[in-house]
Amino acid sequence: MDDNHNDQERFTGHGAEWRNAGLNEDQANAATSWVEAKVDRRAMMVNKERVEDVRDIMWQLEKDGEIIVHRVDEQHEPEMVKTLYGWDKKIPTNQLWHHKSCGQCGNIPGYPTSLLWLQNMLGTRYLDETDQTSCTAWNYHGSGIGNVVSLASVFLRNFHQAYVSAKAQGLPEGYYYPLVHCGTSFGNYKEMRGFLLHSAELREQVKKILAKLGRLVDGKLLIPEEIVHYSEWLHVSRQRIKEHQTIDSSNIRATVHPACHVYKMVPEDAIYDDAIMGGNRLAVTTALMQEMGAQVIDYSTWYDCCGFGFRHIISEREFTRSYAIDRKIRVAVEEARADVMIGHDTGCITTLDKNQWIGKAVGKGYELPVMADCQYAALMCGAHPYKIVQLHWHASPFENLMDKLGMDWRAAKQEFETYLGEVEAGRVETLYDPKNAITSGPGFNA
Amino acid sequence: MNQASAAIGDPLSESPAVAREELEAVFADIQSHPLYDHELNGCLNCGICTATCPSAHYYDYSPREIVQLLWTENLEGIHDAMQEKIWACAQCYTCAARCPFGNSPGGLVMIMREAAIKHGMESAKEVLRPFSRVMLKVISTGNQLAPNMINAEHFPDWGPHISKVDAPLTVLRKAIPMPTLHTLETAWEVNLKTSLELYVIWEESGVLDQLETMDENLFDVITDIMEEKRDDYDDWLEDQEDEDGDDDD
Repeated sequence: MDDNHNDQERFTGHGAEWRNAGLNEDQANAATSWVEAKVDRRAMMVNKERVEDVRDIMWQLEKDGEIIVHRVDEQHEPEMVKTLYGWDKKIPTNQLWHHKSCGQCGNIPGYPTSLLWLQNMLGTRYLDETDQTSCTAWNYHGSGIGNVVSLASVFLRNFHQAYVSAKAQGLPEGYYYPLVHCGTSFGNYKEMRGFLLHSAELREQVKKILAKLGRLVDGKLLIPEEIVHYSEWLHVSRQRIKEHQTIDSSNIRATVHPACHVYKMVPEDAIYDDAIMGGNRLAVTTALMQEMGAQVIDYSTWYDCCGFGFRHIISEREFTRSYAIDRKIRVAVEEARADVMIGHDTGCITTLDKNQWIGKAVGKGYELPVMADCQYAALMCGAHPYKIVQLHWHASPFENLMDKLGMDWRAAKQEFETYLGEVEAGRVETLYDPKNAITSGPGFNA
Repeated sequence: MNQASAAIGDPLSESPAVAREELEAVFADIQSHPLYDHELNGCLNCGICTATCPSAHYYDYSPREIVQLLWTENLEGIHDAMQEKIWACAQCYTCAARCPFGNSPGGLVMIMREAAIKHGMESAKEVLRPFSRVMLKVISTGNQLAPNMINAEHFPDWGPHISKVDAPLTVLRKAIPMPTLHTLETAWEVNLKTSLELYVIWEESGVLDQLETMDENLFDVITDIMEEKRDDYDDWLEDQEDEDGDDDD
């Protein structure tokens, strides 16, 4: 048999001209280590040609009278952070419009509830309403149904609604600033903003659609100054959250799974800090966990995706669960000896959490609690594990983590089960006044 | 992945399996995509994209190969890759983040998927068949996912229980302290007006045309549903006008 095409060959898909280099094991390890030392570093993400700050184009277009920019201004009490290339990014901390995530709200609802609970704790004003669609990017990346015109139109429709939403409360336009929950929505919206700013043709196509919807401002497209992910709000709020911490987290070994669409899509907009993991890792979530006192453990597959795949989670599930378990969960457990894996995106949390159940069927019963950064932070500040953090929707063994934190999850579960009786009787507790949730159309009471 | 049915040429015939005109038409659509020049800037064949690609671990798929096929305008190779390989990509964009040239192989895959749909390729139809439930949901409501879609029947590998607290789904959803989440039909309650606005976007951006090419039955179902929703909204608007009229009296 040809040495270059033996049955043991692991990698495929390189094309017919590919030949095995024939390295021995030591040489292969040395080559791999060299690549990994370069690849898994911030240096790999920078030093690119044609990198530009699209906000420069945005300001010029506004000056030319073509668009209007929804500003992050003083009323939003912004904090400044540095992104990949050291550019400034303004993160609003108040008057936030929650751009929800379909995967979070459908699968793991403790994700948004923990975030809102933290904002209540800090006295943050916000709006959660029914006049919002999914970004539709999960569907696009999974199926190919959709296009840049539809995605850009959905983006600007939802952000326009954020801009005008406060009118229902008798407040001015621009009062609320959108805070995006989902990593894919965040990445997609950043891409769409860039494409819109670069292409007059796309702006024209989208403008026609938004005009039909009545979603222009003074006849112009409304473009957000910043596109902000909720993990960035957590990042700049971490010291204030820390002031409310009641549970000691110092004995917890945490691994962070950063979401691809948060920092690999439009990477120049992602937040880095030289003080956080030497500036080689995305700062959000890791900095929060360190602020909470947990030990954040680096691991060799930090840069890998979770295996969600958009299409794969629905119709190629063997790929998704194999990748999640073999490349992330197993490594976090065996290499990092982690007590928990913390994420900041919808698909990642779902994939890494829910797929642990089937691992037992093939002798891969790694037990690793998985949750979002805001869920962990809420727990540390005394949020109820079931009523607020809604951990019962998670398949992974969060009970192990709570045991290690000294939290009595059995008592909490019993309290929640008692509360369900109240719910059945119609006595439901909510984080905000339900009448705020409808700002127009059927069901709206001015 | 199931083997998508690709065109198979007659070994005794000198005619190509796919007519040159078709290959050129497919590539013309790819090349004229508004994002094509943004996603492809050059390629030195370094392979860093494939070295970091999750799908390359599990499938006969290489982002380097995709970029090379497009860069060298290998029309047969491009058409061949569209029969199966492009659907292996997990859309993580690790390749894009690391490419020294600033290429986005993941973005190029999306352009090729759009072209596969436009040309009604069987590969796309086969791959999208399991998506019909999701497609129906997102196009008709504005939400990709609903709590009542997550159950052991559809997700058996997630275990027999969706919640570790045993209670009816309706009660568990009402126990989520966000009022917008007290529903089973969508991830959050979407205003009727909102879902109709999204439907206008689908109509005006050509998404419904894509859907019709891929699955005519699903297209018919969705257009019927949306017609009813539009009627409902018109009725509501009329009621509002009547109420306003009564108030004026």
